[in-house]
Amino acid sequence: MEQRVLDIVNVVLENRSKTKVNNLSPDDKLRETLGFDSLDLAELTVRIEDEFGVDIFEDGLINTVGEIYSKLG
Amino acid sequence: MNILVTGCSRGVGLEICRVLLEQGHTVYGIARNYTDGFKELAIRYKDSLFFKSVDLSVPAEIHRQVFKEYVTNRIVLDGVVNNAAMAYDDIVTNLKLEKLETMYAVNVFAPMMITKYAIRNMLLHRKKGCIVHISSVSVHTGYKGLAMYASSKGALEAFSKDTAREWGELGIRSNVVVPGFMETEMSASLTQEQKDRIFRRTSMKQATSVRSVAETTVFLLSEKACSITGQNIHIDNGTI
Repeated sequence: MEQRVLDIVNVVLENRSKTKVNNLSPDDKLRETLGFDSLDLAELTVRIEDEFGVDIFEDGLINTVGEIYSKLG
Repeated sequence: MNILVTGCSRGVGLEICRVLLEQGHTVYGIARNYTDGFKELAIRYKDSLFFKSVDLSVPAEIHRQVFKEYVTNRIVLDGVVNNAAMAYDDIVTNLKLEKLETMYAVNVFAPMMITKYAIRNMLLHRKKGCIVHISSVSVHTGYKGLAMYASSKGALEAFSKDTAREWGELGIRSNVVVPGFMETEMSASLTQEQKDRIFRRTSMKQATSVRSVAETTVFLLSEKACSITGQNIHIDNGTI
């Protein structure tokens, strides 16, 4: 699952012409560490939902990669 | 193009389907009822016209009924026409909250939820899609008895403008078509005298052409309109 999340994060970064990452840490912040803006986060949500069937933003904001893992776990 | 059209079974929604199909596009229609007029189109365009009966007065069901069971992520959506609407015609002092809430569910909340999931589909497929909302001239020119109805359409116009600003950088456009009074079932309850009075207020002194509204809607959905977003396009015989 963590590898798929990394792949999806990199698809979004690439689509927005941002630098891809080699790995993710649960403490990574989506905005500060990965540089996601609100539209990037929207695309991330859509891609994760399509893959895992879970809308990670359904009940509130998500700030870190670890919070995504726990939503999908 | 793959286009989702709400309120597809009659009036301007049916005509929008007809224009889209004539131009070779695929239409995913939604309405409460399957009408004879829609059936006629469905026979002629059996491979490119689809239908699902959905009651848009329950916006919480839209995600499942429309986007999980019908226009799924496997379909690349090019555009949406939020046309379905209900009229609520009365003077303000008679306003009934329950009727108002039902009208807002259909005219405002449903198109907002449909826009939400349509944009999500476009994000997934990196599609520079287009949303068109069908409004009403009553937002811009006052008519006795239409305060509640016009307020719902005004909400939709504001929603469209801000949607256009929010998603423009990804190439997703949002526009509003603002028809004048048309000879459709929506205005069937008006007497001929009431209709004549309304038509006299227009520059061209007649009912707005349903075909003109439909053609303009399809133009806005097309690549030809790629630089048009955040606009209200009035098709009202010059109600000025």
